[in-house]
Amino acid sequence: MSAVEVENLSMSYRAPVRKGGLRAALGSLVKREYKTVQALDQISFTIAPGQVSGFIGPNGAGKTTTMKILSGILHPTGGDVRVLGTIPWQRRSTFLKRIAFVRGSQPVGGSQELTVMDSLEYQRLLYDVPRPTFRRTLADLEALLDLEPLLERQLRALSLGERMRVGLAMALIYRPEVLFLDEPTIGLDVSAASQIREFVSEYVEQTGATVLLTSHYMADVASLCPRLILIDHGNVQYDGPLAELSARLSPYKLIRISTQGDPTAFGEVIEKADGQWVLRVPRDEVAATTGRLLQAMEIMDLAVEEPPLEKVIDQAYREGLR
Amino acid sequence: MRTAVLLGFRLRQEVLEWSGAWWFLLTLVVQAVVAPLIGLFVWSAVYPDDPSIGRYYVAVILVTLMTESFEQHTFSERIYDGTLSHELLRPQPVVIGVIGMNLAIRAWLTLLGAPIVLLAGIALQVGFDWSAVLRSTPYVALAAVLVFLWTFLLALTAFWTDRVHAIVGFGGQLTFLLGGTAAPIALLPDTWRRVAEVLPFYGMNGLPAEIASGGKGSLGYQLVWVVVLVAVVTVVWRIGVRRYTAVGS
Repeated sequence: MSAVEVENLSMSYRAPVRKGGLRAALGSLVKREYKTVQALDQISFTIAPGQVSGFIGPNGAGKTTTMKILSGILHPTGGDVRVLGTIPWQRRSTFLKRIAFVRGSQPVGGSQELTVMDSLEYQRLLYDVPRPTFRRTLADLEALLDLEPLLERQLRALSLGERMRVGLAMALIYRPEVLFLDEPTIGLDVSAASQIREFVSEYVEQTGATVLLTSHYMADVASLCPRLILIDHGNVQYDGPLAELSARLSPYKLIRISTQGDPTAFGEVIEKADGQWVLRVPRDEVAATTGRLLQAMEIMDLAVEEPPLEKVIDQAYREGLR
Repeated sequence: MRTAVLLGFRLRQEVLEWSGAWWFLLTLVVQAVVAPLIGLFVWSAVYPDDPSIGRYYVAVILVTLMTESFEQHTFSERIYDGTLSHELLRPQPVVIGVIGMNLAIRAWLTLLGAPIVLLAGIALQVGFDWSAVLRSTPYVALAAVLVFLWTFLLALTAFWTDRVHAIVGFGGQLTFLLGGTAAPIALLPDTWRRVAEVLPFYGMNGLPAEIASGGKGSLGYQLVWVVVLVAVVTVVWRIGVRRYTAVGS
């Protein structure tokens, strides 16, 4: 059985609209006009238990809406959804105890005056976590998230990075089987973001949890998600391995070389500085071009690279998938 | 049992949380006692020889402090800022958090407002029959439930409008006028008195104060309104959450 099953999921809502000006404002008092916004248009995918999937797309693509539906906050207008075999928006206690939804924009809810430990204790009661399990999980989380210095601090006094660590701890103290992470590294510096990524990776390895992650940072996606679901305009545009998407979108690879010579005859030069050259070469010519380069020139260093993921995804967002 | 444990823990959390805002709570106390104090001054001037007026209004002050509700500030704001989503994903009824905060604020208001009640009582040389005060306990409890239900019902309009403060303010004015704070309802013109006796507002303030100061009343009248308001709140909550979960935060 899949952990997450989504079939023909649709979500539309009516948003009030009116023209500018006093006349239109007065007119809207008598007759309001609405525009139907199609946030999701019959999307389908499944996620197997234990799989980590990246859910990416430009702003307004429908990522957060999908996350909200899968976690049970939103009620869709069409389609079937099962998470752990349950319809999420029924929000049954048994279901809510098995999932967690962590939002980078609002990592910690509840009373902000409370200490982290008080909040964790409340989670223990709320999710019926037996004391020995709670102590064991807390010890794990303390080690993984460096929580110890934060336990006696009030939530309101935490920095953004600390709030995210605490948000994850509060979500994971009851060991959810499915984890929805919406922009978990938003606004974090490089080290904090890297710490969160390492933590998620270790958590998944330890517990076998299923994770659906949205992020605009390709480093998150590249390091955590073997599978990518790309969504745009409410439709799934791509569902598959990251490398395949890269190959599909970019028929080129990059050859990075260090040489004192001039390699312009071997490919399109896209970077050049202090004897370092980056050449763009069609994928199927990489091996031949590399051989010719090594034969014809004195090469001190050579590396073949995929194009930067940011550029591939940017291309996908702007031009769509062919 | 689990609900009681969760409520108890939430109450403890909220009492702790609000303990850091005692100065703000003091302003709430002042706001709560101003209206009954005005009523006390006006009606004491009109009936200077009637000791029941002072007794009644001292009781109204205490009942007001013990039953104040601020769901338009607490719950409605959660709808506006989207943090209601956090509550919806917790394996407990959302109302537990709302009630926990409500009870914590009331506990603090009662504690901080007690000196005002005491001072007013001493200044007016008010004497209470303690058996009547004891008898008023269930009436005060039901008044607390009624005020909560009424305020929560109005606060639920935040699902549809961002003008919830105006709506709850209007509801507060009705309670002030017809609940026995602006005037003891026995002193209202006949028609208004009959209207006030039927509506729920009298059960929120005036009735428990009257019982505490030696008067008579009916618990059944309060209970009927509790049942009615619980039913209405339940329906409006379901429709409101359905709307919230259709549109999102």
